Amino acid sequence: MPGKYKPQRYPATPKLNGRHRQIASRFTYGITQPVVASVKQAGGGLPWARQQIAHAYSDVAGDLAKSDWWPSQHDDAQQVWKNQTSGMRGSWEVMWDYSRRLMIRRMLSENQLLEIMTEFWEGHLHVACNSDPQSFWRVSYGDVIRKHALGRFDEMLKEAALHPAMLLYLDAGVSTKAHPNENLGRELLELHTVGVGHYTEDDVKNASRILTGYKIDMWNTWAFKYSPDDHWTGAVQVGDFSDPNSNADGQQVALDMIHYLAHRPETAQRIALKLCYKFVGDDPSDELVNTLAQTYLANDTDIVPVILRLLRSREFNRSRDNKLRDPAEDLVAAWRAIGATMAAPSTDADAANDMIWQVGAIGLMPMAWPTPDGQPLTNGAWASPRRAMASMQSHWNLAGGWWPTSGVTYKPRASWAPEPSDAVEGPITFGQLVDHMARLVHGKPSTQSVLKACSKAAQVPPDEKITTGHRAVGSRLPYVLATLLDHPTFYSR
Amino acid sequence: MTSPIPSPATPDCCAEFARATGVSRRGFLQGVGAAGLSYAVGSAVVTVAGASSAAADGVGGNGVLVVLSMRGAADGLSLVVPHGDPIYYKARPTIAIPSEKLLAKDAFFGLHPALAPLVPMWSAGTMAAVHATGMQVPNRSHFAAMEVVEDADPGSSERVGWLNRLIGELPGESPLQGLALGAEAPTSMFGPQPTMGFASLDKAVIAGADSQTDPNDPRMKSMAAMWRRTRSPLKESVQSSMAAVGQLTAVRKSADTSASYPNSDLGKALSSIARTLRGNVGVSVVTVDQGDWDMHSSLGTLQWGRMIDNADDFAKSVAAFFNDLGPLADQVTLVTLSEFGRRVVENSNAGLDHGWGNVMFLFGAGVKGGYFGNWPGLSNTLDADLTVTTDYRSVLAEVVERRTGASAAKVFPGGPSARVGAMRTT
Repeated sequence: MPGKYKPQRYPATPKLNGRHRQIASRFTYGITQPVVASVKQAGGGLPWARQQIAHAYSDVAGDLAKSDWWPSQHDDAQQVWKNQTSGMRGSWEVMWDYSRRLMIRRMLSENQLLEIMTEFWEGHLHVACNSDPQSFWRVSYGDVIRKHALGRFDEMLKEAALHPAMLLYLDAGVSTKAHPNENLGRELLELHTVGVGHYTEDDVKNASRILTGYKIDMWNTWAFKYSPDDHWTGAVQVGDFSDPNSNADGQQVALDMIHYLAHRPETAQRIALKLCYKFVGDDPSDELVNTLAQTYLANDTDIVPVILRLLRSREFNRSRDNKLRDPAEDLVAAWRAIGATMAAPSTDADAANDMIWQVGAIGLMPMAWPTPDGQPLTNGAWASPRRAMASMQSHWNLAGGWWPTSGVTYKPRASWAPEPSDAVEGPITFGQLVDHMARLVHGKPSTQSVLKACSKAAQVPPDEKITTGHRAVGSRLPYVLATLLDHPTFYSR
Repeated sequence: MTSPIPSPATPDCCAEFARATGVSRRGFLQGVGAAGLSYAVGSAVVTVAGASSAAADGVGGNGVLVVLSMRGAADGLSLVVPHGDPIYYKARPTIAIPSEKLLAKDAFFGLHPALAPLVPMWSAGTMAAVHATGMQVPNRSHFAAMEVVEDADPGSSERVGWLNRLIGELPGESPLQGLALGAEAPTSMFGPQPTMGFASLDKAVIAGADSQTDPNDPRMKSMAAMWRRTRSPLKESVQSSMAAVGQLTAVRKSADTSASYPNSDLGKALSSIARTLRGNVGVSVVTVDQGDWDMHSSLGTLQWGRMIDNADDFAKSVAAFFNDLGPLADQVTLVTLSEFGRRVVENSNAGLDHGWGNVMFLFGAGVKGGYFGNWPGLSNTLDADLTVTTDYRSVLAEVVERRTGASAAKVFPGGPSARVGAMRTT
């Protein structure tokens, strides 16, 4: 039956084209109609990105207020500890709230590019959200990353690597001069800066010696202090960086080492490669990686010029739809696409609280990756059958409004039919309904594949007229919506 | 070869065919195989599967291999203690395990007391420990080491895991032949052969399909249509899932015995594996991950710390698994692997930094019980390692040869020819 599933059009619903859609797809958590409107209003993808950068920090408090639903996120380390010991709220629950708030921020913030870049750096300088000691300091660590996410990497690294959350996570906060703990020293070299193959075991030992002296009053006040008595003194060398390190206060030596590492060409390469994995594809050209690395070094580790260089590259423009959404990107985009409204939660079953279990089932709660390398940026890690089935389950629950059921208002099924439009006369066809819905959910028009799959799932022929009360916008609407969420187009960004 | 399943000319041609047509090799073989078999044995397609058809082929062994990855680099010197090496006690004044507390002691080694649930297997001669194993050259990066260990093909830059190569060598066409529990997509399974995985059995469904077994269900038809032609990296997994859920529906009818396991991720995963194996759906190779062995601090003692908790969960889960398998235990071999070992000398935080050599455990079918390996002797310097004397591939290759009938040379290209002798020859 040739042509049966030829896509039909509903042009009244706006969409983005080509590279404009590409930029919005990679730098938002899902192209919604407000995103389409703001990109068009800005005059295209690149000017929109520049606006996003320019306005990222213009109303920090107002931005946070939209997602400020979890009081635990205002507690300092000592308060989190007090609440845990009194049995009021465990630090692991504070970490759940942290993941929840991240997801709500990604869903609701208008500063989408800032959220995306915050996630990128928080993954690069990963401190796992779990019940371990770092949990007491983890919320403020996130603030540090967000503050620097569009700033300079050297400044971000100095604050992040020496932040109590990192010192606790990678054991530098309990290190001693008698036997320097190598955990942070190694990962600072391997994960945060130069990467495997670009440091020696002696570099690890010396970096670990430099990082002695930082102490946290664990299981008590959780206060941070620098303890000169615990600092290993004596000459050190890490790569080409060397210092007599004769002063009992080694803080300046640590800062100097971090500065040196942030400015290493190997670090530039590593960061450029990871940016490419996130925003371009899993097999970027050496040419692009080199270009971005040079931009990073030429701008003294300033991040924005690197992003803009990436956005202007041909390779970025050509890499459309080749990235697989990871679990949180998938779920956040699904929530954005279905047009449901979440409220501040009051019970565990409320949507804003429940969604971390959904995203955990798909594969990972935000910032809960169990190892210090941070969650993978390449497609392979998220392409497992387990993930596929779990994604389908969440999509199905959301499409039907079956779960979660409290703390959320789903869009009424009938309202998925477009408002009457001058462009289309009379009742629309099922094919046109699918096109309209594809523009809302995928941010682009339907294809033959989309129409065929929707038609088979909903058991409605493409040319059937959709009048008020039709099952396509009633009992079979969940099948159409789930098909759009389960379509390969939705999984790509 | 008496198999009714036509063999392709070479696996390569088949993989090419699969890529060119968008049909997975296994899906292709299953199509052909099902037709052949329905002629031979009626409609019982579901019962025909990797493990059992391997037996029918007489290709040597019909074993199921379960690979348990202890993520984070477990400390082998705590799990299997060399109490006969005096350096052990000098190097670990806080965290060494007193000799008198060890289990299954011989003159030199003994097991961590938390491994008590495994002692019945030890006594029955179905548990072995091979010490001082690992990679030939130290690699102290968790992430790089894990990838090298799981690719196990140092000569190649291609990303294909050793278990994926093993699956390629085994007869059988079940979409469940290679099964991953726990980890998202372990490197060891990565490669051209399609594999399956799920978090737990009850979650292994196509949501919204009224029937998991009827290809004419509207959701199934819709999914099949939209995933047939796509470049999405998720394509193979969606198709594997759709091919497997029907059989898993049958598996779910078998008894849920998870109550006999610890209520831990590992316990849950192993109980799902046992249940799936009982369903006889052609599983040959299974991976399962247990995390959290990266103990730079608070490894602890017999009174407190992370080692005793982890070892306890590990031992109880593995013991429950083999008890639960019942008669099937005769077909299942479980081997443990960690990316590297830890230092000999404890640090100031009752922990251990990254080292080199480690212990590997073998359990179940075909295992010759006892302690194996060449002891290199410990030294008591700040950065001393347990030196590797046995290439970890020697141990794995022996299991592959004895239990699966696959060629170890193909699974571990360029691998060592030495064998440990921890598997029975008959």
